Amino acid sequence: MNFSDLSIIEVRNVSKTFNGVVRALDNVSINVKENEIVSVVGENGAGKSTLMKILVGIYPPDTGEFYHKGIEVPFPRNPGEALKRGISIVYQEKGVIPHLKVYQFLFLNMEEKFTRLGRLQLERILNVAKEVLDELNIKCDITSYMYELPLSTQKMIEIARAILSIKLEHGEIGADKLTPIIILDEPTAPLSLEERDELFNHLLELKKTSSFIFVSHIIPEVIKFSERIYVLRDGKLVAHHDLSKEKVVEEELFREIVGRESHYYLWSKYAYGKSELFEKEPIVLSIKNLSKRGYYQDISFDLHKGECIGLFGPAGSGKSEIAKTIYGIISPDSGTIITRHKKAGLNDEPHRRLKMGVGYFSGETGKELFLYWPIRKNVSLVNMEKVAKKPIKVMSIINFKAERSLAEKIMKKLRIRAPSVETECYSLSGGNKQKVSVGKWLERSPDIILLEDPTIGIDVGSREDIYEVLLEMKRSGISMILVSDDPKEYAILCDRIFFIKDGKLQKVYENEEFRKVMQL
Amino acid sequence: MRNKVGNKSIAISILSSIFKMIRKNPVSWLIIGLTILFATLYSESFLTGTNLESILKGFVITSMLSIGPTFVVLMGSLDVSYMGIWMFGGALVWLLFPYLGMASIFIYPIFGLALGFINGIVHVKSKIPSFILTLSITAVLAYLTTVIRNIYGVLTLAVPEYRFLTGSLIQYVPTTFLLALPVFILSFFFMNFTKLGTYLCAIGSNEEGAELAGINVKKYKVLGFAVSGFLSGLGSIALYSYLGARAPVTLDLNEMIRGLAAIVLGGTPLVGGIGGPHRTLFGALAYVLIFNGLFLAGIDPNQFKLYIGLTLIAAVLIASRGLKGVLIT
Repeated sequence: MNFSDLSIIEVRNVSKTFNGVVRALDNVSINVKENEIVSVVGENGAGKSTLMKILVGIYPPDTGEFYHKGIEVPFPRNPGEALKRGISIVYQEKGVIPHLKVYQFLFLNMEEKFTRLGRLQLERILNVAKEVLDELNIKCDITSYMYELPLSTQKMIEIARAILSIKLEHGEIGADKLTPIIILDEPTAPLSLEERDELFNHLLELKKTSSFIFVSHIIPEVIKFSERIYVLRDGKLVAHHDLSKEKVVEEELFREIVGRESHYYLWSKYAYGKSELFEKEPIVLSIKNLSKRGYYQDISFDLHKGECIGLFGPAGSGKSEIAKTIYGIISPDSGTIITRHKKAGLNDEPHRRLKMGVGYFSGETGKELFLYWPIRKNVSLVNMEKVAKKPIKVMSIINFKAERSLAEKIMKKLRIRAPSVETECYSLSGGNKQKVSVGKWLERSPDIILLEDPTIGIDVGSREDIYEVLLEMKRSGISMILVSDDPKEYAILCDRIFFIKDGKLQKVYENEEFRKVMQL
Repeated sequence: MRNKVGNKSIAISILSSIFKMIRKNPVSWLIIGLTILFATLYSESFLTGTNLESILKGFVITSMLSIGPTFVVLMGSLDVSYMGIWMFGGALVWLLFPYLGMASIFIYPIFGLALGFINGIVHVKSKIPSFILTLSITAVLAYLTTVIRNIYGVLTLAVPEYRFLTGSLIQYVPTTFLLALPVFILSFFFMNFTKLGTYLCAIGSNEEGAELAGINVKKYKVLGFAVSGFLSGLGSIALYSYLGARAPVTLDLNEMIRGLAAIVLGGTPLVGGIGGPHRTLFGALAYVLIFNGLFLAGIDPNQFKLYIGLTLIAAVLIASRGLKGVLIT
């Protein structure tokens, strides 16, 4: 075994339990070698972030061993100790302080090494900053403000700051004895497609002197840029690929990441229409040449009554931005959105789209639900027309009886397990919370409903309940657009599936065809 | 026999609802504690008719200043223009009295409503932080009041014809309290029985979620300010009678803090989302009790200004962190 094969750090059999119940990590072992990009992939809640926080000393693990260049050492107890071992982390968002100048940001919290008698040695700081940025081949004016730079450069400067902090901790600027390990927590999430490429080109350059742990769920990037891939699912390490020895295809990785129980019985239960079946139905939504720079280009399609269209593609392909645009959360640069009633203004806000018969449901907990409200109030929030009387035009008076009976109806229909309609939502289980969120739209019954990850983070049983409700809504003539990470979800709900990549509509599959392609 | 059982169950249900109320409003412990403390410390003076009347008076003043802005705090903004409404509205009443006669008192709610709309629209359109905006508007209105006073060369802008409002109609029940009752009722109505109350709560609790649920957030923010202005205007009528048919002509910072302290003390945190006018009433009562106790203890009233500021800080601290073992929801 020569030196370059030796891992710089290695953790073995790491387990972590939160509150004695939630098993976040279960016997996970990973290692990082010199000059490589190692990816850790998995869904939200798979344990990626927990593992990284253990590596930088934010959480202590329950069990596990930590090896530094082959020698067992204790786990770092705080980020400072992690720095001493050469590990630093760049967080997903909010790491940048926009109103600091580049060199100020670069040396933030490291000023004491450049201070004499309480005075900052500005010249030395500027020189070192220039040196560091030159070395990493980052081109920018070090006296400009952070917010003036493109997002990818900001991210690069964050990475430079992480490397610099490790080197300063070891008191050897420019020395190459130590290989810094930089953890990048979903670094590409806020970037547009072009910016991502730029960032990756930089990373490949930086690989000559550093190692990276790349946390992501964007599959094409991971395959393109990393040497090795670890796949986490439900806190367990389910796969480890060495890309220099084997070739990994996107679909395979996708299945490993998702790997859920399938819902075969649901497929046999419901018939999916071929698109000809829907052609006779009226068009409820027509999208023409919709574009937003950096996210998606030239999207056009028609949605018929009772049809469900899936926007399928890797994370970051622009699929969720398209759905958000249709509901008015994001405004597009150009294009037209026409619903059954009329043409929508491009800068409309959600409440206007709701009036035109468009609804939106996101499974992301906390976004949709008002946790300290009883179920009753959460349900009636979008159903005010049903539960409130209007004695005069400007005033709606809520009828509590109607509110309660509406909530009771939904609770019965969705099998929501709660003591009563007055139960506050924070005490419900994840699945039941989601059901309350879906339930309110069920009663409102808009023409079109946009679904973003409708079953994310809930158990299989609740998942199936929600699918049944959604399929029932579909049968009653509500059209849907689905955005999700789970191919099975598309196979269960959608009639047509649009494959979206790099912000463009690439291919249209019928349901049957899609299942064949995805081998479901 | 049956009657007895009925009485018993009624008593139990009343007790349980009182207990529920105490559990849901932690500040009521403070009220109960203070009442017991003062009743034992100052047994001679605390539980007398006159003292209770002055507590009630103070309670009305504090609640009238704070009940309108509660709606704005509920949605996570701040509105301190109640002082401006009280002062400048008084000047308007004085100006309009020769033309409108006794009806000119109704300029108060109208002016409050109008100012509320202006506050709301400017806040939503220009995105000026609501506290800065309403504070500036209050300063402007206070200045305008002084200008009017100087132009006409009078000392106070009193309208003696309204003095009948000041006199006591029922013994020990100040007339201001009677004037305040409709404001209480209206505020409960807005909060609990209209769409508006629900929507304001939603905006304060989770603005993004409210927008995703298809609520016209901007519109309801403006309406929140309008309700606040309207209730402050109505409340100012009670305040007007309290000062003997006139409004103050100089801006008193303590009065301003008093309103905010009552809101926060009652359990509507400044980030919004939870609480409401019922809590503000509890807060106002607690606030008044504290200062009544200080008064009975014979502390120099000039020192009160110190305690007013400290009370606000303590209230904000407790409301933002919660007390150990007390879940403020």
